[in-house]
Amino acid sequence: MGFGPMISALMRNKTGAILVALQIAVTLAIVINSLYIIVQRVEKINRETGMDVNNVIVTYVRGFGEGFDVVDSITNDIDLINSIPGVVAATVANHVPLSGSGSGTGLRTVADETIESVSTGRYRWSEAGLDALGIELSRGRNFFPEEVNYILPASDPPTPPSIIVTQDLANDLFGEEDALGKTVYWGDMEPSKIVGIIDHMHGSWVSWDKLGNVVIQPGKPAYTTNKYIIRVEPGMRDKLMPIIEKKLGESNRQRVVKGVESLEEMAQRSYRRDRGMAIVLSVVISLLIGLTALVIVGLASFHVTQRTKQIGTLRALGARRIDIIRQFMLENWLITTTGAVFGVVLTGLVAYWLEVSFELPRLDWRYLPAGVLTLWVLSSLAAFEPARRAASVPPAVATRSV
Amino acid sequence: MFKYNVKLAFKSMRRNPIMTGLMVAAIAVGIGVSITTLTVYYLMSGNPIPDKSNELFAITMDSWDPLRPFDDDNPERAPHQVTFHDAERLIAIGKGKRQTAMFESSLIIEPINDGELPYEAGARVTSGDFFPMFNVPFIYGSGWDKAADEAAEPMVVLTKALNERLFGGDDSVGKWLTMQGTRFQVAGVIDAWEPIPRFYDPINGGFREVNDMFIPYSLTRTLELQSTGSDWGWKAEEISSFEQWLNSEAVWIQYIVELDSARDRDEYTSHLDAYVGEQKRLGRFERPLNNNLYNVMEWMEYHEVVATDSKVLVGLSFLFLTVCLLSTIALMLTKFVGKKGETSLRRALGASRKVIFRQQIVEVAVVGFSGGLIGLALAGLGLQGIEYLYDAPAGLVTLDWVMVFAAIAIAVFSGMIAGLYPAWRVCSIPPAAQLKTQ
Repeated sequence: MGFGPMISALMRNKTGAILVALQIAVTLAIVINSLYIIVQRVEKINRETGMDVNNVIVTYVRGFGEGFDVVDSITNDIDLINSIPGVVAATVANHVPLSGSGSGTGLRTVADETIESVSTGRYRWSEAGLDALGIELSRGRNFFPEEVNYILPASDPPTPPSIIVTQDLANDLFGEEDALGKTVYWGDMEPSKIVGIIDHMHGSWVSWDKLGNVVIQPGKPAYTTNKYIIRVEPGMRDKLMPIIEKKLGESNRQRVVKGVESLEEMAQRSYRRDRGMAIVLSVVISLLIGLTALVIVGLASFHVTQRTKQIGTLRALGARRIDIIRQFMLENWLITTTGAVFGVVLTGLVAYWLEVSFELPRLDWRYLPAGVLTLWVLSSLAAFEPARRAASVPPAVATRSV
Repeated sequence: MFKYNVKLAFKSMRRNPIMTGLMVAAIAVGIGVSITTLTVYYLMSGNPIPDKSNELFAITMDSWDPLRPFDDDNPERAPHQVTFHDAERLIAIGKGKRQTAMFESSLIIEPINDGELPYEAGARVTSGDFFPMFNVPFIYGSGWDKAADEAAEPMVVLTKALNERLFGGDDSVGKWLTMQGTRFQVAGVIDAWEPIPRFYDPINGGFREVNDMFIPYSLTRTLELQSTGSDWGWKAEEISSFEQWLNSEAVWIQYIVELDSARDRDEYTSHLDAYVGEQKRLGRFERPLNNNLYNVMEWMEYHEVVATDSKVLVGLSFLFLTVCLLSTIALMLTKFVGKKGETSLRRALGASRKVIFRQQIVEVAVVGFSGGLIGLALAGLGLQGIEYLYDAPAGLVTLDWVMVFAAIAIAVFSGMIAGLYPAWRVCSIPPAAQLKTQ
């Protein structure tokens, strides 16, 4: 049995066939483009941060009232936190990486304000800072304790001679050259020497393209709100969070402990939009695939019922079951493939629209063949059951009147 | 006749429950997804203050680095905030109908009674003009007046929620709070007021809740209030005291002016130009003259308040709706083909094409309407999901009557569009032709 009966069957309901093909085409365009966005967001969320995110606790405290001494308060707090069993290291910091709140600056390799500076995130913490975030120093040294001083609000902190930078920032500043030991200049043209290099760490703003550019200065910021970064032993985090909150609260009543959070939660909040988009799109394409599959099954079943008599006649004339199955599967394949052809074109158009109107990254072409292959498999699976049912029509049906 | 058509429609729907179910499901899912994304877009892009959006203007002045623009990607733009001292002088000059300079801060409210805990509250530091400018509703009392602004009186206006927390929701006007070692007197309590987007401060977040309380801008100096919002700086200046910070070139103040009408825009721009001209003579504002006024919707556009993701989702979900419609047409067509016999009989018995056509259209409208209703329920669920995923303030994303109406209209209309071709096909069945064969 050849294509003849199949084509003629399709031609009898060509509008229906075209509609299904079109539906497949649009489905393909939505699914491929959405999947691409989802994959990108998931990759973004799962990037290596360079920190021990799961074992870090962050807490904010703020003093008030007469006679409150912020330097005393920080010193006592850090001592108190370090005395809690399970705490590995703690520091006071100006900002917390991955939190969405940070500070940025520009650095130069020469003291000339007319040349463009290199943008970077900027942190200030004590010699315990790297340990408190679980950041590994790949080369050079950490700050010496004597380099770390309290920085009071609205006082111009002395530009520190020593800084630690990430490799990303070092590359932006010095290219191929080794940055260790080199001098860089701040906005006010004061110099600093790079004493240590971190292989990789993320800054505060997760959607910034310079997220990997970080410069760290030594110092204990004694601002209005004191931010503490605390690393604990693996598995101790959730147990220690309420303990830290309670102890800090009790130790000094002239303070508000503004909550204790895990760095993991903070990072999740920073990625909320990306995660939201990935989840919304996943729901949308699941619904879409489900709907399209149901409609294909539904229509195929309906056609089998409609054509019971025709199938019976074919069987009576000697067509084997496998011939009937093959005919239905081929019919389905023909519709799917037509849909895939339109679909590939439409996918390209949608991808172009997303790229041009919203500056989304260009679709990776490999998604197209992968999408079409998946489509073939899925649509064959969807059509198999109705085809099998068609094949089970007994030849004797041909002799009955409907 | 319509009732008869509806009756026939239900009869026909029941005869083929799987097909009908699929059609209703297709429309429902399509409506559910597209109304969900459309509602989010509609909320984000809405006009938060329609009766005044053309008379309120955010101002920008280019006090930035003579060597490079504020925003490398949009070099024509001036900084979107102004310096403290420029804001202070503009307030003093006061050429608008009303004006406010403002920033976000936070203060600790010391316990009123023993046993209570101190509480850190977010504050908007602003002028008394804020309240009449933005049509802020009050439950008790009012904002503060110009005299309070000028004398830097420690007055405070509370939100309904904070008043609930501190005073159990009672009329607290005239009561006292201690913050930052200073006693503040409650001037008023505002009613629930959550403009979406929070148009007066898209810089620190267009979709956040309104700050807990409001205090006079003139207190900044005396209480050394720190900004918790964003600030930008370009100049290497020595800042070793709060006074030096206030006099620095850092931009951290938002400035909004209300004019009598949109026509006064040019006039106000020339005031700004005059002010900047004066400053230029003092050696500041070294960049080319670049003063701008943005009305509310322009300001929302400037800050791209509508997230790109939201636009992408609306686009994709309307493609989704197309798939649903294609399904509906295919299903409808298949179903009508199966009804050839019945239609032929009715035609043979004297039903005109018009009658048959009308009957088919009623049937698809009924399918569309049912799909629309279920779709609305799905959209309700979808919006709750969005609220949860994006951690939006409770009740921020809700369906309003416009969206409900839009959902039903889109459903019925698209159902009918989907039914037109199948209906036309059915009408073209000649009377009795089908009766012969079997």
